[in-house]
Amino acid sequence: MNKPAPKYRRSFGDLSERALGFWLLLPAALLLGLIALYPVLRLVYTSFFHLRLSEGPQATFVGFANYVQVFADERFWGAFWNTVKIVVITVPGALVVGLLLALVANLPFRIKWPVRLGLLLPWALPLIFVGLIFQWFFDSQYGIVNDLLMRLGLPREYWLIQPTLAFWAICLTLIWKTSSFVALILLAGLQVIPTELYEAAEVDGASRWQGFWRVTLPLLTPAILVALIFRTITAFQTFDIPYAMTRGGPGNSTETLAMYIRTESIDNLDVGYGSALAVVLFVVSLVITIIYLHYVRGGDE
Amino acid sequence: MKKLVWLMAGVLAASLGMAQQTKLRVFVGGQQRPDVLRKILDIYEKRNPGVKVDIEVGGATSDQQQQYLTTVLASRDPSIDVILIDVIRPAQYAAAKWADTLDKYLPGISKVALLKQYLPAYAEADQIGGQLWALPSFADAQFLYYRKDLLEKYGLKPPKTWDELVKETQTILAGEKNPNLNGLGYIGAKAEGTVCTFLLPVWAAGGDVADTNGKLTLTEAQAQNALQFWLDTMDKYKISPPNMAEKAQDVVRQEMQQGRWVFGTLFGYAWARFQNDADSQVKGKIGVVPLPEFAGGRSATCLGGWQWTISNFSRDKAQAYKLVRFLSSAEVSKILAIDASNLPVLPSVYKDPDVLKANPWFADALPVVLTARARPVSARYPEISDAIVSNTNAVLARTKTPEQAAKDILAKLQQIYAGK
Repeated sequence: MNKPAPKYRRSFGDLSERALGFWLLLPAALLLGLIALYPVLRLVYTSFFHLRLSEGPQATFVGFANYVQVFADERFWGAFWNTVKIVVITVPGALVVGLLLALVANLPFRIKWPVRLGLLLPWALPLIFVGLIFQWFFDSQYGIVNDLLMRLGLPREYWLIQPTLAFWAICLTLIWKTSSFVALILLAGLQVIPTELYEAAEVDGASRWQGFWRVTLPLLTPAILVALIFRTITAFQTFDIPYAMTRGGPGNSTETLAMYIRTESIDNLDVGYGSALAVVLFVVSLVITIIYLHYVRGGDE
Repeated sequence: MKKLVWLMAGVLAASLGMAQQTKLRVFVGGQQRPDVLRKILDIYEKRNPGVKVDIEVGGATSDQQQQYLTTVLASRDPSIDVILIDVIRPAQYAAAKWADTLDKYLPGISKVALLKQYLPAYAEADQIGGQLWALPSFADAQFLYYRKDLLEKYGLKPPKTWDELVKETQTILAGEKNPNLNGLGYIGAKAEGTVCTFLLPVWAAGGDVADTNGKLTLTEAQAQNALQFWLDTMDKYKISPPNMAEKAQDVVRQEMQQGRWVFGTLFGYAWARFQNDADSQVKGKIGVVPLPEFAGGRSATCLGGWQWTISNFSRDKAQAYKLVRFLSSAEVSKILAIDASNLPVLPSVYKDPDVLKANPWFADALPVVLTARARPVSARYPEISDAIVSNTNAVLARTKTPEQAAKDILAKLQQIYAGK
């Protein structure tokens, strides 16, 4: 005679667990496909066309011509190296500052919220807002930075119209803004390190410094990697802060790749070329992510 | 039961009436006084029963509005019928086929007759390839604002040439010995206004970027002289502070309002702020004159202003056209002048007694706007603007020589005008 089927089988019909998983994941996958995959594919497709809305809505297939143009474009390389420099300076910068902030926030304060709030505030401010605030800080006439310099008897500097100074002003702003994000992730990482480990280290005669290098840092590595991945990718897409502070000026000396993409596709309506530039940025981000992920997996094994 | 039948018949009749009503939607920016426009549209609706017009209000700046409109128009959205666009955009709208040409409704002679009524620069800015794509709503232009009190104090007349302006400024600065007083303020930041800064000395020397046939006429020498002039205001003549590359238009306006500039090249909006703002230190002390010229050149200023155009995706273009004609009429120009202090687009309105009563300074403004010239009319204007702005800004920041920047501007312009 028929044995009664197990209860879960009855309630889900004949679906195996695998099929159930499939159906449960489907809506999310569809949504992701619609809002992430489709635009990316569309972008790659458009990048093979000559499509300038200033010449009308018709597109002509041109193969790799846009990419050939990208690699011969001086302005692209200028923007590309600016972006790379921003990544190389602000990612480690934010990591060091963020780690210090996290260590401070992790100290056993009696009242924790002022420290936590100070940690959260830069992270909670919109990027463009930070850019505008720091534009005023670095303003040559009215800015607080020059005010401080001049009180110390130093000469007035034209921060935002001098390429090197403008670049460093942008980097400092980015580090201020992003280190709190790093600090938040690292703080979470710090709080799961059991205090027994430090006590054990202390018993073994380790100094605080050794405790930091031998206990804290190794156990914090996964959190550091996560922070680095996010920070590196967003650093490659840096847009708002330099846009608000200098608009890429003076000339185009502080323009980033994301800003150049916007100029070409939104202002100049050169959709084909703008797409090719965007695909290049996408590929760079993808490569960085793969390298990091490789690292993370290697760490797990 | 009978009652119900009547009721249904009534509903049916009402809905038929609704269906016959024309609905139009106009798009304007948040700074362009939608409240005054509503009043104007109410007049239109009253005169044209069956037509309902509503307003969609967009972002505050020309850039913000265009970012939104690019999305709407690139997806061929029919929800907007009539759009108010910046004077630099008609060529772009024509090329992208976002606008419908007005030539369809205006046969040859009537178009010529109509355009003659407006300030001459608009015939240039709104016609592309011989076809008309937009009609002006309200005007704007750069003025040479000057401190009447300071010029009077030193017995000086407003300058007619740039050389005079330099000398007068030097005289005043030397006499005042006020470290907070600067000479000539202009736009030098990485922003659209810097295109006008570059063009003023080019025009003043008799040159231009392109001729009426859309052929590039600017020479490297003309570009270099213009850039050298602005660099000299800081380094040689010492009539402008060394950080002009930082100056956005509104920063100069605010400083002039605090009494910190002798001269300023600013658009029309500054006038009302100087006269009406509570914190203004220069009430009644500011005058306007046409921009100076170079010896052997001409006085010319940079045209601004906003244009009505018909969306190519509108479902009722004939009605949209009727509305555009009304919105660009002398009657509406007068309302805008009185209620919103907008500069009229028709010279006749400047002389209207009601308008002059509300804005006495329009009498001085008319000779200036009559010398206005359009920025290069091209579908690829944003690229032209980008090349001029970044190079002019680089010269003012002293990261490029005028010679190199002129070369770079010309190289880019040649590429654009050759269609590459």
